This record gives sequence, C-alpha cells and structure tokens, in this order.
Amino acid sequence: MLKRTQTIATATDETADACALSRRSLLRLGLTGGAMLMGMPAFAAGDGKDGAPVAGGTLTIGADADPIGLDPTVVTAFSSADFIALIYSGLLRWNAKMEIEPDLAVSYEMPDEKTYIFKLRQGVKFHNGQDFTAEDVKYTFDRILDPATASHLRAQYSTVTAVTVVDPYTVKFELESADAAFLNYLATADDGAIVPKGVENLMTDPVGTGPFIFGSYQPNQQFTLNANPDYYEEGLPLLSTVVFRFYKDQSTLSSALRSKAIDMTWLKDPKVAALMSRTSPQLVSAPGQTSRTFPIWMNLKAAPFDDVRVRRALSLATDREACVQTVLSGSGKVGAMLPESHVGGYDGTGEMPYYKHDPEAAKKLLAEAGYPDGIDLGEYIVVAANALDVACAQILQQQWQAAGITVKLMPMETAPLLNHWSSGTWPTLLSVALSWTPDADAIFQYLVSDSKFGKAVGVSDDKLDAMIAEARSEVDTEKRAARNMEIQKHIAENAYILQVYQYPLRWEIWWDSIKGYEPLAANVRSFVRTAWRDE
Amino acid sequence: MRRMVIARLAWTVAILLGVSFVAFMLVRALPGDFVQTSAGAQNVASDVLEAARRELGLDRPLLEQYLIWLGNAVRGDFGYSFVTRQPVVGEILPRFVVTFQLTLIAGLIAMAMGVATGLASARLRGRADWIVRLYNGFILAVPNFVVATLIVLVVGLYFPQIAIFNYTPFFTDPLANIGGLLLPALSLALAVSVTISENTRAAVLEVSGQDFVMVARAKGLLPRTVLANYLMRNALTPIVTVTGLQVATLLGGSILVETIFAIPGMGQYLFDSITSRDYPVIQAIVLLASAVVVIVNMFVDIAYARIDARAQS
Repeated sequence: MLKRTQTIATATDETADACALSRRSLLRLGLTGGAMLMGMPAFAAGDGKDGAPVAGGTLTIGADADPIGLDPTVVTAFSSADFIALIYSGLLRWNAKMEIEPDLAVSYEMPDEKTYIFKLRQGVKFHNGQDFTAEDVKYTFDRILDPATASHLRAQYSTVTAVTVVDPYTVKFELESADAAFLNYLATADDGAIVPKGVENLMTDPVGTGPFIFGSYQPNQQFTLNANPDYYEEGLPLLSTVVFRFYKDQSTLSSALRSKAIDMTWLKDPKVAALMSRTSPQLVSAPGQTSRTFPIWMNLKAAPFDDVRVRRALSLATDREACVQTVLSGSGKVGAMLPESHVGGYDGTGEMPYYKHDPEAAKKLLAEAGYPDGIDLGEYIVVAANALDVACAQILQQQWQAAGITVKLMPMETAPLLNHWSSGTWPTLLSVALSWTPDADAIFQYLVSDSKFGKAVGVSDDKLDAMIAEARSEVDTEKRAARNMEIQKHIAENAYILQVYQYPLRWEIWWDSIKGYEPLAANVRSFVRTAWRDE
Repeated sequence: MRRMVIARLAWTVAILLGVSFVAFMLVRALPGDFVQTSAGAQNVASDVLEAARRELGLDRPLLEQYLIWLGNAVRGDFGYSFVTRQPVVGEILPRFVVTFQLTLIAGLIAMAMGVATGLASARLRGRADWIVRLYNGFILAVPNFVVATLIVLVVGLYFPQIAIFNYTPFFTDPLANIGGLLLPALSLALAVSVTISENTRAAVLEVSGQDFVMVARAKGLLPRTVLANYLMRNALTPIVTVTGLQVATLLGGSILVETIFAIPGMGQYLFDSITSRDYPVIQAIVLLASAVVVIVNMFVDIAYARIDARAQS
C-alpha cells in the first residue's frame, strides 16, 4: 500500500508540473507504464490513520434536486451534473486541488498551440460492454458541434474545428485559435463526458465509462447507482451501491442527515452546517474552495446606472466584509468576478478599486452625479427562495441607507426573476448568484458586449471585450492568471457589476463513518468513487 | 331524474373543459418558462433554449398547443412531465393517494369536531353557544397555512421528540404513516370543522322547532332518543351535503399544508411543478382536483334530489 501511494504521489506531482508547463513542445501528462493504474488519488494525501479502505456497502446521499435528463451533451439543467459525473468520465478530470489530471486520456501532446493529440487509455469499456476508442471521442464531439443537436456545449467548444481519429487510441483536436479554456472544459463532468457511439436514449438510459452504472430512478424519491465492476481504476469504486434520496427542502434534508437516514448531503446555509457539526462532532463539514459569487446586477441601459459615478457610489456604500461576517458567519470571502477556484481568481484580500467601505465618499460621488440629497434606486429584486440572498439584500439595504441610497426589497419567484434577468427587463437592481463554471471565461462572458447577458446588462466596452478574448487565448497559466486579475480590476473600476462575496456552492457535510471522500469546487461529487464505509 | 343526471353530466364535462382551458392559458401566462427555469443562472445561448422549447412543443401557438393537449387528453394521454420525462399519470397517482389519505383524515377530524361543537352549541345554548360561536368566528378568520406554521413552530420548540417532517409511506409502517398525518390533517381540518359546526348548529336548531320533535317529546321519549332518532337523523342531510362541498377547501388547503409539512402528496407536487413550470403536471393536477370537486358536487346534487322531492322538479 505504502509503495503504491508513493508512486501515485509522484504521478500527481508530474501531472501538476505538466499542467504548469503547458507549452507547445511534447508534453506528457504523467502516467506511463505501471503508474497508469492511477489508483485512489484521494489516499495520496496520506489517510493512513483511517486504516485500510474496505470495499462494499451502500452510500446514501441526500439530494435537493432531481436530475433533468442524463445525456451530458443535451441536458441544460444544473442538477443533472452531479449524477452525470459518477456515470460518465471524460478525457481529463479535476483533482481535489482543482488541477487537471488524466482520466480516459493517458497523455497529450501539443505540436502547436492550436492542436491537441490525446493518447487514450486502452481496455476501457462502456457500461454496455462496448470498447472505448477514439471513435467514441470523435462521435461525442461531432455530436456536440452539430447544430442539430442543439447542445449547450457547442458554444464552449466553439474554437474546435475538427476532431480526427488518428488510430483507435489516438485522437486529434484542431482548434481555430489558441484556447486556454479547452482543457478545463474537457476536465469537467458533463462538458467533457464521453458518450458511446451509436447508443440512443441516453437521457433516460445513460451509458458511460464512469465508476458507477445507472441502476434505477424513481423521480422525487430515489436514484440508484451500482459499482462498475469493469471500472479502469483498479480496486475502485469501493462502494457497491450509491443511493440518492430526494428531499426538496433544507429542513427535511438536515433532519434526514441527523437521523442517519442519509450519510451525506450538501446544505445551502453555512449557519445550519456549522450548527450541525458543532452539535454532532461525528459530522464532517468541509466546505471546500469557494466557487460561487453573489453579485448585484445593475441595469446599465438607463439612468441612473448609465452614470459610472452612481455605480461607484453604490460600490463604496457597500461593506462587503460585514456581509461575509453576518450572512455567511465568516465562512466566505469578499468577492470579485472570479471565485478563488479559477485561474487568477480573487482571494478576497487583494486591492480592488472602489471596494473600500466609505459612505462619505459615496455621498460625494452621488452629489457630483446630480443627487446631492441621496437617491432612490427603486426595486432591488432578489430570489425569494434563497434565504442567503434575501438576508444579504436586507443588510445591503441598511448599508446603502447610510450613504443616502434607498432601495425597496422585492423578493421574487425564481422563474419570473430569471426571465427579467436574461431579457434585461429588470428596472434597476437584481441579484442572481453565479455558480462555478468550468472556465473563468464563461464567467466573463456575462459581461461581453454582444453576448446575451452583456446585452441584458447593457455593458458596452470594447476594451473589456478585447481583454477577455486575449485572456482566453493565453495558454500559459501564470500569464492568464495575471490577465484575469486585470480584467477583474477593470470590471470593478467601472463597476459594471457589484460583486459582494464568494462562497462554496454548498456546504458539504457527512458522517465520519464515510472515509476517503473529498469535496470538489466543481459542483459534483467525483470523490464518491474513492469513498468507503468504515464500520 | 334520468334527465337531470344526464344534464348534470353534460355540465360536468363542460366545466372540466373550461377549467382545462383556463388552467392551460393561465400557467403559460406566468412569466418565465420551464426551459429558462431549468437552465437557472447558467449562461445558455438563446438558440439552445429555443431548441429545447421546440423539443417540448412550446414554440407553437398557444391555441395549437392546447388543442394538441386536448386531443391527447381525450384519449387518456396526459403527456410527460418536463422534469422527470415520465408519463404524468404515473407521477401523479401515488401522490394522489397520499393527498386522498390526508384529506380523508382531515375530513373525519373536521366532521367529529364540527358536529360535536355544533351540537353542543345548539343543545346547550347560553354560554356554551356563545363560546363556540366566538371560537368559530376566530378560526374561520385564520388561514390554514398560519395554523400549520404555528403547529410546526410550537411542536418544534416545545416537543422536539415529535418528528414533524417525517412522512412514512403507508406500506412501510401504517401506524407511523397515520400518526405523521395527524398534525397536518388537524391544521387542514380546523377551518372546515367551523363550517360544519355552524351548519350543524343551524340544522339542529331548525329541526328542534318542528312539530314532530315536539310530538316525540310529548310522547315522553327520553331526550337521548329524541336527539339520536329525531333530531340528528333529520339534521344530518344538510350536514353531509356541506361536508361534501368542503372537499374543494380541503384539496386547496392541501397545497400549502403539504408543502409546509413536507408531505409528498399532490398539493406539494403542484407547488413544486408551478415553481419549475412543469406545465403538463400542473395541467393534470388542476384537472384532476377540479374533477374530484365537480364529481363530488354532482353526487351531492343527485343524492339531494333523491332525498328531497322538491329538488327533483
């Protein structure tokens, strides 16, 4: 066991180096020969104290949303990703530190910035017994790129011009331009999932190469997965069954966890998670990296937010740190456009323009803008179903009041709120939290002038558009991080959007009889594949 | 009699047709649709959303959508849930059973409480009458979701050993199942029991002034016998009628009560489906609930006609 752990640790280090080195010269993503077995990366961290992993048993997970379809290419629902991640696998995947590591691909080369050649793992089988080959990779991406499929992934892979099968275990991707987002998308659960060629009805009968095989599904009740006996990572998965039980509201979810009807769940409220783990020390609560931001969307298309001084005044009137402390009980960070789990993401402490809480300066700016007696900004629309959002909005309302800014809170049902937001018809202020996306670029896209949301918000900034495009084509991770930071500063400088705080998407919590599990910022439970029951 | 039944049936069909049309249009008039709601805050391109709408047939003119739905519904096909992609009928039936159980228990509680308080108030008069009527007036003014929330609050704070949110399926543990439904049923039953109470009181008072009751008393029958055989028997007809008419109140109330107590019934499902804009499910539940109400009313009418000769003409 020990010897094996060391081999794996080296492999992981190599992977990290390889990623940092992403250049056009020949690259090898770790793994050759014996290390190809890759086994149990979660134990590389040295979980020796937990004793040897035990195979078998059932893990019951409390889920708050049903999957809406299980075909990774076609689904648009956020809730499906968690299930897809355990059934399918992709060429690459995220490790617990949110670095890319190989999955169905064993290595790749980049003859130039626009070409990727992947060597595929041999001997991998789909759940229906079909062999996994380069044909499936080509089929998956041809299907994504075919406009008739209407896949939401087409936009993300828009730089891909051709996917060619070199030999049964080698596949070549040709891109139109250098694209730093490409590998990140490949590593993400539903975005990079490989589907078997020629298999229909994946929406209801999913077939993948992942650690678990789809068992059964009773809507609103239960979703069952069984261990894949032919999974390529030797000895994994350890669990023989994974059962998702659905609980629609947070109070039933937390009482189910307390009564051990479920082993594991994620909660939306950090206060509930903190309280539960304080009262029951056997509950492990590990929020993981922040992956979600809470922004205020201003309607820049009309007065008063067409005036940058009003936007900056609102930013100065906002005490972000106070929001982190009161709403999140400190388990979050001050936010900018990118959460910390992204390349160049904001760590919550660095300098950002107009972030310093200063109501007097805000008043002065408002006076300059022609509102010496303060300003009434009308309705501030928030998601009524999201208690955290409403709580934060109430605090913001008080903070702004101190700078002479009045708003009327308007909690709204989710469907009409999303309608207002995506069509740009909200009057002045609206909040919708932004969740983790595979690549930083997808978050910046919300503010690109000719994009759907850019138009809805009313951003029109050629310089910003150019900065975002350049950052996406920067394949050097360090340089890209610097560019992303510049973009965030530019956004804050012009206050195109008011980011308040960043936090984990959900607070994951589980009984300590479940070992070998790690939360991942990527909104999926990938490490169920290494989890086991210690009983 | 036969003509009356046929006329009633025709009316029932017409009413359901009207309900289905109004429900269909109202739900689609709500801002936001299923495709957008399921995409949530994700940045999904408009053409992808359009394609998803096309696949669900949401891009067609409203009237055409309705006629397609009606055509299928007449043949017993109520479509597929957008969320689960399963046939709507199979989704609703198990939940309907739960709601039926809840409303049945609530109905029994309401009957027991209503008849008891109504009878007490009519027979004892004086202070008892005064207290019951004051109580009735108060409870009638408190909506069931307030009662439900108060029950959750009080039980949660002072009796934490009682699990409020633990719905158990009937076949897993029948006793736990019924036990778990008692509190929700109580919050649902209170307002209904008041209506029954008031009607019982009025009916008993009316009957007790009639000649045959006086004759029975004059014959020297025991007060118990007069109450059971003369008063109650005659007062029961309007009471049963009123209780039947309260089915609509119970079904309507179940939406909020089931949501508050996390009971996986039809009411909670309707609430969830409205939130996610799952049109076929909303449509089917509204239709099923109206059908129950209309059919119960029809039976009440027909039964009434059979009992009371005046209503036959």
